[in-house]
Amino acid sequence: MDKDQGLELGRREFIASVAGFAAGVVASSAAPAAAAGLDPLPAPIEKKTTVLITGANRGLGFEFARRYAERGWRVIATCRRPSGADALNELAAQSADVLVEQLDVVDHQRIDDLAARYRNMPIDVLLNNAGIGGGAENQLFGRLNYDVYRQVMDVNASGPIKMAEAFSKHVKASDLKKIITVSSSQGSISKVNLPMLYWYRSSKSAVNMLMVNLALQVRRRGIIVGLVTPGATATDFIAPRFRKAIPNIREPAVAVADMMRNIDRFTLENTGTFLNYDGGIVPW
Amino acid sequence: MTVLSTRARAVAGLLIGYALGSLTGPVLAADDTVDFGADYVPTVFITGANRGLGLEFVKQYADRGWNVIATSRRPEAAEQLQAIASRHKDLVTIEQLDVTDNDRIAFLAEKYTDTPIDVLLNNAGISGGNANQLLGKMKFDVFEEVLRVNTIAPMKISEEFLENVKASRDKKIITVSSSEGSIAGATMPRLYFYRSSKAAVNMLMKNLALQVKRRGVSVAMVNPGPTDTDFMAGLPKKMLRPTEDAVSDMIRNIDGLTVETTGSFFQYDGTIIPW
Repeated sequence: MDKDQGLELGRREFIASVAGFAAGVVASSAAPAAAAGLDPLPAPIEKKTTVLITGANRGLGFEFARRYAERGWRVIATCRRPSGADALNELAAQSADVLVEQLDVVDHQRIDDLAARYRNMPIDVLLNNAGIGGGAENQLFGRLNYDVYRQVMDVNASGPIKMAEAFSKHVKASDLKKIITVSSSQGSISKVNLPMLYWYRSSKSAVNMLMVNLALQVRRRGIIVGLVTPGATATDFIAPRFRKAIPNIREPAVAVADMMRNIDRFTLENTGTFLNYDGGIVPW
Repeated sequence: MTVLSTRARAVAGLLIGYALGSLTGPVLAADDTVDFGADYVPTVFITGANRGLGLEFVKQYADRGWNVIATSRRPEAAEQLQAIASRHKDLVTIEQLDVTDNDRIAFLAEKYTDTPIDVLLNNAGISGGNANQLLGKMKFDVFEEVLRVNTIAPMKISEEFLENVKASRDKKIITVSSSEGSIAGATMPRLYFYRSSKAAVNMLMKNLALQVKRRGVSVAMVNPGPTDTDFMAGLPKKMLRPTEDAVSDMIRNIDGLTVETTGSFFQYDGTIIPW
């Protein structure tokens, strides 16, 4: 099979869409944005290091948004319900460089629309942070809830690869060129030693494989792909009754600082690896 | 340190209790071991048994004198399977099953409720087609279909038939995986969905292995290697192994599986494939 087939086609489409845009013709990739009522960004766009974060309303995602904004980066912060994202809206009110966008990562049309809206903005770090656990009670053997598995896979596995597919051109046009996914050590098949969280774990193994494939595919375009894990962190993701029982549970600020350090460390040399919060490699 | 380890034990106990709490029935103790006798005829349950590896599994297990429950989506069109079944009328039973049909899985589990199953063999699988999983042209409804067949079905079948496996002599749950599902082994970008579905099922089965080990049930993945079946149509024959060899190798690895090696992913030559 021809490994470059998809790559070449992507490049042709990109050239075609750029040419169409330059000629004042509405290219096919721009059409959905108009249809969905997503206005193009006002021009000109100031050059600035930019990160796009999914699930940025709370927990790790919000902390990422806050910290990258502090660094002086432009932050495109997406979440399912911006109307309820008080902390994020407050952050955006303080900084013109924080742009809040509505996005549910299972909505592929919306992903395409956003990609079209930001088509002229290079994105240095595409940060797939949004994730769901699926609820421990839905993934107990003997009572496995298969509908929940589909949701978990849609958010944790399909979401990141769809985002990467839609935004790879923006990333390629940037300086840093990084596609990062927040995975979990729970997705390490070799490390699991107690049976639990079938769906969540499986979705993380699945996305790890997708991202390794992506790393191999986009490497020669200079795009770096990485997986990071925060460690067990005290966010809404882990129910309070479990949080108390986990020794050495980490604070979001610490977990995010560690992940940001690891994101900075990703290069074409270590593309396609899975970095633990302490900088070590998580085995598959 | 003491405080930490006490808390660590507490959380481990909590999680184990939570994870295992859904299993009914007592843990098998050593002195509960049943004597199955010398006349015992083991049973294998095979999905996707109408062609390729599945059909060859039926042939080889029937030739060994095993009972075979052979399932396929359209038994009426499975002529080769029917031919084997008519040669081994006393051993081979054909059942209709599309592995994405959870109701049908539950129906068959009910139908065979009193039949011990020594080897539950999740063989059915689809690739999803190369053209549907190219970056820039990904078809996500194909991903869902690939997951339904390759990942969800083995889990659902294992869940529904666990009691049958526990009641058997050999107590094995086997899934035909693929070295394409080895994240560590991926060196070229291809088959995003297929590979991801295999990595996902490997994780599910590793979890299952941990879950059922203390019931004496062993769980493993086996890899046939590139084989001369319809699945690999288009590849040069010289790159492909004969179906007979692929299946006899997998059966040797299934025979060799114990609770000590449960949760492993066996290459056809008996070595372990890294995750």
